[in-house]
Amino acid sequence: MREFMNYITNAFYGATGWNEDNKYNELNATSRELIDFPLPRGLRLTLSSLATPHFATSYQLGSVGVVDGSISYLHSSIPLTHIAAQSDKIPLPALLRCYRRLHDLRSPGQHYMLDADPLSGLPPSPQSAQALLGAVSDAAVANGTLAGGKTDQDPSKYTHSLLYGRLYLPKSLLEGMIIKRFTQALQVQVRAVSEQSLRNGGTILGLVQYDKGNYGLEGLYSTDGGLLGFRGLYNFGGDASSSTCDPWTPAPGENSINGNGQAGEKERIYGRFSVGGELYYGTLNKSGGMSLGARFVTLPAHRGTPLTATLTINPLMGNINATYALLAREYCSLATRVEFNVYSYESEWAVGMELWSNRRPAGFLLGASPSNDPEPEPQPPRKKERSFQAKMEWRLDDPEPEPEPAPKSESDKKKNDEYKGVLKARLDNNLRIGLLWEGRAKSLIFSLGTGIDLHKLGEPFRSLGLEVQYSS
Amino acid sequence: MAFNFNWSPLTADAGFYERARDLLTTALNKSPKPPIIVDDIFVTEFNLGSVPPDLEILEIGDLAEDRFRGIFKMCYSGDAFLTLATRVQANPLNTYISAKPSFTSPEPLTASSSLTIPLQITLSEIKLSAFIILVFSKQKGLTIVFRNDPLESLKVSSTFDSIQFVRDYLQKTIEMKLRDLIMDELPAIIHRLSLQLWCPDQVPKEDEEAKEESDAAINPLATPPLDAVDAHGHRLDPVEISSLSLDGGPETQSLFSQKNLEKMDALANAHRTSSLIAPNILEVVFRAWAGQSDKADATATPSASTPNLHRTSSFQGSAHTYTFSDNSSQASGHAPSRPTLVSMGSATTGLSLGSGRHSKAGRKKKTRVVNLRSKTAASEPVSEVGSTSSQAGDSGSEAASTRAPMSEPVIPTTIREAPEDDLAASQSKVRFRPPTDATTSPRASESSGSRAAVPSVPVTAQPSRVTSPQEHVYTRQPSMFPSSPAPQTSAQERPPSYSSRASEKAEATAPIYADGKAQQQQFQQQQQQQWGRAGPQPDMSSVILEQAWITKIAGEIARRVYDEKNRNPGFWEDSHQHDIPPPAYEPR
Repeated sequence: MREFMNYITNAFYGATGWNEDNKYNELNATSRELIDFPLPRGLRLTLSSLATPHFATSYQLGSVGVVDGSISYLHSSIPLTHIAAQSDKIPLPALLRCYRRLHDLRSPGQHYMLDADPLSGLPPSPQSAQALLGAVSDAAVANGTLAGGKTDQDPSKYTHSLLYGRLYLPKSLLEGMIIKRFTQALQVQVRAVSEQSLRNGGTILGLVQYDKGNYGLEGLYSTDGGLLGFRGLYNFGGDASSSTCDPWTPAPGENSINGNGQAGEKERIYGRFSVGGELYYGTLNKSGGMSLGARFVTLPAHRGTPLTATLTINPLMGNINATYALLAREYCSLATRVEFNVYSYESEWAVGMELWSNRRPAGFLLGASPSNDPEPEPQPPRKKERSFQAKMEWRLDDPEPEPEPAPKSESDKKKNDEYKGVLKARLDNNLRIGLLWEGRAKSLIFSLGTGIDLHKLGEPFRSLGLEVQYSS
Repeated sequence: MAFNFNWSPLTADAGFYERARDLLTTALNKSPKPPIIVDDIFVTEFNLGSVPPDLEILEIGDLAEDRFRGIFKMCYSGDAFLTLATRVQANPLNTYISAKPSFTSPEPLTASSSLTIPLQITLSEIKLSAFIILVFSKQKGLTIVFRNDPLESLKVSSTFDSIQFVRDYLQKTIEMKLRDLIMDELPAIIHRLSLQLWCPDQVPKEDEEAKEESDAAINPLATPPLDAVDAHGHRLDPVEISSLSLDGGPETQSLFSQKNLEKMDALANAHRTSSLIAPNILEVVFRAWAGQSDKADATATPSASTPNLHRTSSFQGSAHTYTFSDNSSQASGHAPSRPTLVSMGSATTGLSLGSGRHSKAGRKKKTRVVNLRSKTAASEPVSEVGSTSSQAGDSGSEAASTRAPMSEPVIPTTIREAPEDDLAASQSKVRFRPPTDATTSPRASESSGSRAAVPSVPVTAQPSRVTSPQEHVYTRQPSMFPSSPAPQTSAQERPPSYSSRASEKAEATAPIYADGKAQQQQFQQQQQQQWGRAGPQPDMSSVILEQAWITKIAGEIARRVYDEKNRNPGFWEDSHQHDIPPPAYEPR
């Protein structure tokens, strides 16, 4: 489960139009979240509130043997009115999603604006995603306000900042973060941790992020060891190369180009390639590290099964890491990961899965798996196919099908909202199983997880935890 | 009398090596390992070799049927070897990331991917040379203490011998680790073994209690032999024996309780982070608790960064007032922090303590002052007085910095006579003020005292004015600065009986204060309180007037003192020579 403050921070990114996924270290975010989801330990209660559109607080109380807790505050200079902060209204996918959909490169500043919940990362089926996309471009064209041109001319829209602080109580560990957006493409983050046991009493990490749509750069400096880092990501293929002129101005004809292009190759796999690299050097301890990576992700416009495949190589350490994640069904996504080290011949594999349920949590427990009801399942594809067709038509001739996709996406969203819970599972080569069941009961969002070690069948449960979150 | 040491029968025991390997393995894995070691450390091979060590009996302190105490000298250069196997993390970024808080982690994608390498290390050609204190009793087992660092040299060969850098690193690290092992773990292992042999009834509870027991029994120096001799047979006097510390280092663990030192460390670190918990230290009076009048200390003590202005500091003994004033010739062009002068003051034997703290005065100003030294050696206060006085003579303009160390309550338990005698002897040479209390009756002292002695207090106040606007309140204190032309408004805040109150309080909180110390203490407190109380009250005209006046006075004083110094060069050197080093105290 994402923490409330992360959710708010993402909402801030959404409100300022920052594409947080366009960075190199988010390259394999999908499989990472599907496989390496954190398991709760002990009992943890979180009480959060978005008190005003600018200000959020969160209090956490946990108990793993000893009682600990944290207090955190967040201030955003832009009002976060477009999100639902109440725990009975927060769209669960925004908190619990794993499979990440690609953001539209052309309009990193706008995609969220239309979306009532920008973070609805719930993997919609490609068709529904397309419907959403259709709604977006639709509204964009209809309003004419959404174009990058307008936002470009309004720099004050981007110069927003976010302040965040968190104090862990028995440990007296203090976290602080400042995010400051300077221009449309430039953002600076400073993070600091202060704790007694750390050397020099704490560390500061500074990040400069530059996102230009089809490429994103990042430079960082950490006071700990004087670590300097540089990361870059370059996108090509798919939509990234089709919008060659200027990623920031959605050319009026682009939609149709896209549509046409896609119409031509809709049977083929249609996606975006990204390549990137990272380089680190510790100026004080004279050590460094680097890696290279590539990713292929199908775009929402792709008709077939959405998939994400990454390959990263660490040439210094001889590590090769390949992941593959796909959205098998609307409610089910799978991921695998294989790691191999060419120097030590060590290898690892792990698989992960998430399974969404639209039943009530209790019903899910009782064994009614969502695959038991095939009725709703064939329906959405058919609907979506029609909506897709409609959208195709719309792209060719403007006004006619406009009313049609909107209700579709509406109903889609309603359907997303119907999800009551999600089951996540993972298994790795040490035969360790992680199970996590998250969902909403009344207005509480809970997360119940356990780790099981199959090697020690005598006492297989390595950890058990329950996390409950309430926000208003 | 003859001793028979058997080396080979020890190794002839079939189970011996196995047991020793197990013990070593657990000992090596007991302490938390650095993140670079990703697996347990296994002792795969262990052999004591065939060459026995040379053992020389230096002294036998106690000999009976069931107990034995003696000091040995052991030299070993045999063919024992030890092979360890573990796995290490070869990616420096991985270890870097794993040890850091995740919030400020740079979150590399796969640049921190792990690469673990099996590592085998062989230690051979071990050369030892140690003084061993061996205590044996049937009840408490066998206790061994190494009086010095026993490890002379050893050869480390590993899987990475071909890489020079790694080899050097391993050599260095392992030598360090092995020293720890020999000094800390080996006595514990031997003790445990001996307990198993001789007193198996104690073994079950050995984990907790016997550990402490052994710790208590481990200190043979607490009851030194009657006529101790050193390695060359010369007789040691008791002071030397008491200065021997068990681990051979200069740490004086017997002087300070380790627990309290740790708490002090935590306390000193508390202001660097936002720690809300101030550790509780027993038998200590915090300045912050001491009362209303002392509270300002916590916020007081401005930093000592005032160049080029001359100050004098006065330190009052119980019956005498000594004034050390700066002079322009000496203090001309002083840098604010003036490290050279401080170290000059500390050039004499034991002043490193004082100067070390002086240089940190600016940083420590917010730390609550806690007295640790209620039981320190008697030499401490002497050196403290010596250091401050000599420093005042050298660089009297360091009023603020000398104040900082002074504000730490140095409580002399016994010796106060030495500096007083010293200074009193020199009193005939230098013209000093008659024994008045400058803080309470400055007018009298001014009217009667010599020019050189008078301005001690006001001039101490002066530099602070230069640094910050808050200080002119200070000069308005009628008691502190009687000749100030400024309107004396804020002085009324202060009850006239303050000093007596404060001294009462000082004595109440720390009754073992020596008088002079108490007064100095109180003087410092007073000063600091004023500094702390001084709020931002901009009164520019008076400030300018006072400044002019003070500059004049300061010049006068400087001149006088310079003359004095030229006339009596002996005094200024004298104060250096009677410094006695304080016990080494290094906050860890």
